[in-house]
Amino acid sequence: MTQSDPIFRLEGVTRRYGNLTALDGIDFGAEDNSYIALLGPSGSGKTSLLRVIAGFEAPDTGRIWFQGRDITDLPAHERGIGFVFQNFALFPHLTIFENVAFGLRNGATKVPDAEITDRVRASIDMVGLAGLEDRNPDQISGGQKQRVALARSLVMQPKLVLLDEPLGALDANLRERMQTELRTIRERLDVTFLHVTGSETEALAMGDRVAVLDAGRIVQYDTPDAIYDRPIISDVALFLNRFNLFEGTLKDGSFHGAFGAAPVSSVRANDSDVYAIRYDRTRIFDTDASDLPGPALPVRYLASEYLGSSIIFLFETADHKTVEVDHHLSLGEPRDLSVGQNYILSWDPAQAIVFGKEAAQ
Amino acid sequence: MSAAIGKRQKATTFQLLAPGVVWMILFLVAPIMMIVYVSFWTQTTFAINSTLTLDSWRNFFASEAYVGALWTTIRLWLIVLTLTFLIGYPAALYVGLLVKSKTVATVLLVLCVIPFWTSFLIRVLAWRPMLGKEGAINIILQKVGLIDTPIEVLLFSELSVIIGMTQIYVVFMVGPIAFMLGRIDRNIIEAARDLGAGFGRIFWKIIFPLSLPGVVVGAIFVSVMVLGEFATSGALSGRKVNLLGNIIVTQVGSLKWAMASVVGVILTILLGIVVAGFLRIVDLKREI
Repeated sequence: MTQSDPIFRLEGVTRRYGNLTALDGIDFGAEDNSYIALLGPSGSGKTSLLRVIAGFEAPDTGRIWFQGRDITDLPAHERGIGFVFQNFALFPHLTIFENVAFGLRNGATKVPDAEITDRVRASIDMVGLAGLEDRNPDQISGGQKQRVALARSLVMQPKLVLLDEPLGALDANLRERMQTELRTIRERLDVTFLHVTGSETEALAMGDRVAVLDAGRIVQYDTPDAIYDRPIISDVALFLNRFNLFEGTLKDGSFHGAFGAAPVSSVRANDSDVYAIRYDRTRIFDTDASDLPGPALPVRYLASEYLGSSIIFLFETADHKTVEVDHHLSLGEPRDLSVGQNYILSWDPAQAIVFGKEAAQ
Repeated sequence: MSAAIGKRQKATTFQLLAPGVVWMILFLVAPIMMIVYVSFWTQTTFAINSTLTLDSWRNFFASEAYVGALWTTIRLWLIVLTLTFLIGYPAALYVGLLVKSKTVATVLLVLCVIPFWTSFLIRVLAWRPMLGKEGAINIILQKVGLIDTPIEVLLFSELSVIIGMTQIYVVFMVGPIAFMLGRIDRNIIEAARDLGAGFGRIFWKIIFPLSLPGVVVGAIFVSVMVLGEFATSGALSGRKVNLLGNIIVTQVGSLKWAMASVVGVILTILLGIVVAGFLRIVDLKREI
């Protein structure tokens, strides 16, 4: 199989709970042997999507294809798709070894005992838990449970593993280490990971490609840098949490908002007129500055957050909207700001992304 | 400093424990010791004196009726225990696991408890018009034409005692099992499905082992109550079934304190063995 053959494909998958539409006609195909991050805010339907693919829930309409086969009506235990739960869902009464061996012992195909032992040991080795085989799940740490859950899925040699916010229950330090490890493990095996997350940094860092889910629909499916640099609609820019978004009106090639009028070179189709400028492209000026690179947004300084490599400055506009400026410390020392003082924010209009109801181009 | 704190904590622990310990000594340990002691007293027809003797113990094991009652008690206990498990487990599985809504599960559990609103004796006696020679079951079976003559074995037999006890005690099996089943993380079951296990495998490898503490607690409840039973067999067996409990009642009734104590001690030892045996199956302290 080449990289571009879809390992699984969704065709118009819809799932409703009463009046709530969790999945709204999703069409989606995932490349074989790749790491796909599925990014969505809570309530966007990402867990529903995983559960439908795994077979824990049936879609109301639509078909699901896996390895060229229609599996829509196949029960979960016959699909051969791995699932890693957010709370790990280890079997509390079984040892680590028996947890990992469960699928081999209890699956439809009989696996000889010697092969079970070999495969379980190899799988436990791969996630770096050798020596803990005889422990019980309540005798290991959260990070180790995560690895057991992963080993338990991978020992079945699935072609697709669904990970439901797998790093959500881990602390920040461990999360970063597991990010790298998940990628390394996946690259060693011929398997596709579909990793659901609500964290935009996690999605952009981990995915070969990122699918952005919003209100039960996949709104953008692209490489992380494309998503980051060219969000297709304003909602995607909002999830990325890297853009100041302004409402306003787009008319005759210029955008009118809280910052006055700014020239617009290109416009992306969107439900409403939105002007987006990245935090790290927004700069701070005194109120009497005369060398502004573009539009002038009058703001009041609120607070700052020190992040080590950069500082986030928080401002408030006249209509009480919070605006953020990300100042990377490699660009030099930040200027001293006094809380409550007024400043002007400005930016190069060419670096803004404009979304409009009437897409000009 | 820390030694002083340790000392004070020890004193507090002791003070907190004292009322319970005193209570247990006065009303549990002392009476049991007394029963053991009395079982060695000398019983004459109309009097009892504290000269120690093994006579009552010898009489118990020499009498076919008494030893027979011991075996009947054990046999009925095993049958009722098995039946309450076989009937109770599926009910608990439905209430604790298969019913998705917590409200419906609670309502169903309350329904199980509703019979307890009537007195124990009424619940037992209510089986008489059901099982009797001219009782509801015989009438229906005759009307339907399945039988010509009434089935007499239904009432005043071991069968009626078993039916009565099973009906009364099954709820003590359902409750603890349903509770344990309700605590199982649904993700665990889905994880097992995802790993390729069908329903049977999931039940035997995941659900049943995880519900075992509930089964053990339920079994202990049922055992303790059935082994000490005398009322159900008294009311439904027509005096044909004698359990250890019935012997104690008649012996006390005829002021044979020594023999009543012997049976009491045997019953207590039997209960001790049964409960200890069940507790060996699971480590309840870890589960609850």
